[in-house]
Amino acid sequence: MSASSHDAQMRGFKGYFRNLGRGILKYKEKYLLILPGLTWYAVFAYIPIFGLSLAFKKYIARLGLFGSPWIGFSNFQNVFADPAFLQSIFTTLKINAGRLLFVFPFPIFLALVLNEVRLGRPKKILQSVFTFPHFLSWVIVASIMVNILGQRGLVNSFMGGVFGAKPVSFLGIPSYFLPIVYLTDIWKSAGWSAIIYMAAIAGIDTEQYEAAEIDGTTRLQRMWYITLPGIKSTIVVLLILAMGYLMSGGFDQIFNLSNPATIRVAETLDMYIYRITFRGSVDFSFSAAVALFRSVINLVLLFSADRIMRRVSGSGLLA
Amino acid sequence: MRGTKRLICLILAAILSLGLAMGALAQDYERVTITYTGPQVVAGYDYNTGDEYSKFILDKFNFEFQPTNVPWGEWNSMLSTWIMSQDMTDVANFNYGDGTHADASNFVSQGLIKRLPDDWKTRWPGVAKVYETTSLGPMLEELYGGTYFIPRARFFYNLPGQPLANHWSVWVRSDWVEAVGKEVKNHYTIPELLEIAQLIKDQDPGNVGPALVPMSMDNGNAARFFVEANSTYWDTFYKGEDGKYAWGAAAPETLEGLKLWYKAYSTGILDPEYYLLTYEKDMEKFQTLGTAGISYLGGQTADMENYRILFERRTGVDASAFLMATLLGADGHYHQRDLINFWGAVCFSPDVDDAVFERWMDLMEFTSSKEGYPGTQMGLKGVDWDFDANGEIVSLVEPGTLLAGAVGEGKYPSLGHVLGSVILWDDLAFDNPNIAKEYREESRALYANRYEFGAPDTFVSADWNLWLNFTDNLRRARGIDYGVEYSNLVTNASSEEDLVARYNAWIESQMSLVQPVLDELNP
Repeated sequence: MSASSHDAQMRGFKGYFRNLGRGILKYKEKYLLILPGLTWYAVFAYIPIFGLSLAFKKYIARLGLFGSPWIGFSNFQNVFADPAFLQSIFTTLKINAGRLLFVFPFPIFLALVLNEVRLGRPKKILQSVFTFPHFLSWVIVASIMVNILGQRGLVNSFMGGVFGAKPVSFLGIPSYFLPIVYLTDIWKSAGWSAIIYMAAIAGIDTEQYEAAEIDGTTRLQRMWYITLPGIKSTIVVLLILAMGYLMSGGFDQIFNLSNPATIRVAETLDMYIYRITFRGSVDFSFSAAVALFRSVINLVLLFSADRIMRRVSGSGLLA
Repeated sequence: MRGTKRLICLILAAILSLGLAMGALAQDYERVTITYTGPQVVAGYDYNTGDEYSKFILDKFNFEFQPTNVPWGEWNSMLSTWIMSQDMTDVANFNYGDGTHADASNFVSQGLIKRLPDDWKTRWPGVAKVYETTSLGPMLEELYGGTYFIPRARFFYNLPGQPLANHWSVWVRSDWVEAVGKEVKNHYTIPELLEIAQLIKDQDPGNVGPALVPMSMDNGNAARFFVEANSTYWDTFYKGEDGKYAWGAAAPETLEGLKLWYKAYSTGILDPEYYLLTYEKDMEKFQTLGTAGISYLGGQTADMENYRILFERRTGVDASAFLMATLLGADGHYHQRDLINFWGAVCFSPDVDDAVFERWMDLMEFTSSKEGYPGTQMGLKGVDWDFDANGEIVSLVEPGTLLAGAVGEGKYPSLGHVLGSVILWDDLAFDNPNIAKEYREESRALYANRYEFGAPDTFVSADWNLWLNFTDNLRRARGIDYGVEYSNLVTNASSEEDLVARYNAWIESQMSLVQPVLDELNP
């Protein structure tokens, strides 16, 4: 690099930071508003990244995170020697791919339907009804499921009473596990997730609807040609983010809904990490290796999804 | 005059000396606060003001007690996490076992647990005596080169035998057994109980109706009932007759146990949704609802009467219908690995204040003494019990009085193993006059028949070589949740042949974890 180009680069940097400083000063109130959020990310998302170094160390509590000795890729070798680990990756991908297919579209559908409810009061009541399950913990939901789907539950009582059917252990049949996961996920989260889409819909210019109505379009056509394209960018962003969680997420739900009978189809990577961390002997390094592996795959998936979406729809996470 | 003065001086000197001597005899404690972690703490209960027994202990040793309860299922994980993060309480009850020895060893090597002073055995000789009977304590002391853990002895005066038998027993509705024409006795093999359960299912002798559950067990207890009771090494490695180590899960007796489990599940005599039962829900069906015929639960001497009192109170069925029996494998033998004479080990934070440490040791010295030890189970001396002229313990309470028990049910909810106990209830229960003599004799008989039916290769001593081994490979292999894995095989099998096929495939799939351990053990 020549001296002149180096100087030019330095001037460029200085100029950038000068502008940034001026910008911050000019909009100091707004920057102040985002400060708590940034602090949260720094404390709970960025600083803990250093903890991932445990994956390459043999953790000794007294020596701490930085003092523990390095052992290279030994933890990863052990991770891949465990058949349950590879099985858990497959299970995680299967469950989360299904979530993208069945659970992800539902809030969009719900938001579109709620948007068509014209009367204010019923709309609010419906919104509240759909949002309420979000506030229930998965422990409660699992208990409700036992009361509904258990052998002495609501469904079996009804089927037995009306059709004389023999009771079925819905919660103990592995092939029913995924449908139950998706259905409970939809029931619990659709209302809450729909709020984001409702907000996006609220941002669509109402003149478009008025013009379309004058042109004689049906409600369905307006939904298809105006509302959906209007929230497309929101859908794309949320879809990309969801792709970034393909290897994780849903621990509470799976943990509470699974049981020994269904564990083979239910042990996701999170469940596996939990088991090896807390059920066996405590080995934080081993668990960190698994968690790091998961994060790397999630990152790759996130960027891949972003790239694909940019090509397909022209918009991605940052543009 | 001079004589009078001299006399007064002498009297004053004598009074002063006596006063000093008395002061030295009575421990004048400064008040301290002691934090504690353990699984038997009554959650939400204020030990400082709760009941007269806890107040007596706290006043006597002048401390404020701040206990933290850890749920049974989270005992290892929570406590280990706190110890690892150097955030443990002053005193803790650590769940020492072959599965947690690796953690404990790490704690010791990293200085995360207090090393007791070298003279502790002379300062607290009562505790030291108990400690010597636990086997594990001296073993660890030699291994670590000092004392870090004080295992709590299950038995001190009344050790039933070596290896030590477990108290876990089959709970059977004897009135139903009689009604279906079977013999009431204090030992049954698994096939015998399956036959009885089938008859109970067919005949419903208690007229329970659709709620009848012939065998009520949660997942863990079902694994113990069908597999552990049939296969001594069902969840570990063992040295075979050829002197080489083998994997217990692959032993023929394990598969045999799984077949019995499958039979019970597929015929509907085992609760069809046993795998959904949460902690103690299986007990509830037997003890509270009265809808179960057979369960497999605790059978401690100390609890035998309480269990029956609660059973009668809750179900309205006479307590005599509640039978406890020893479970034998299909081969007619009692199967068990040495329980080892301890349960839970007391350990201290490396940062514990000396005064707090000494106070807890003093408390343990008291509860291990003849004077203090009965109180941990029987309440207050002079109020609930006392010694007679021969030094024997006599009860001062009405028969049937529930001393220990849940808040609102027991007189002293604080009674138990939390307040400094180092000799567990198993021991005194044999001599406790509050427990009806018939129950104590029943318990002795249950212990006795375990030794009678145990064969040298089915009821075995601890293999310390394996017990204290914690290579990385062994630690990973110990992560296999056998109860869950076996249950998964049973519930997903469509026939006995399918069960065998699934079992073989599972054994094969685990070899990448198991073979490295076998290679280490058989160099």
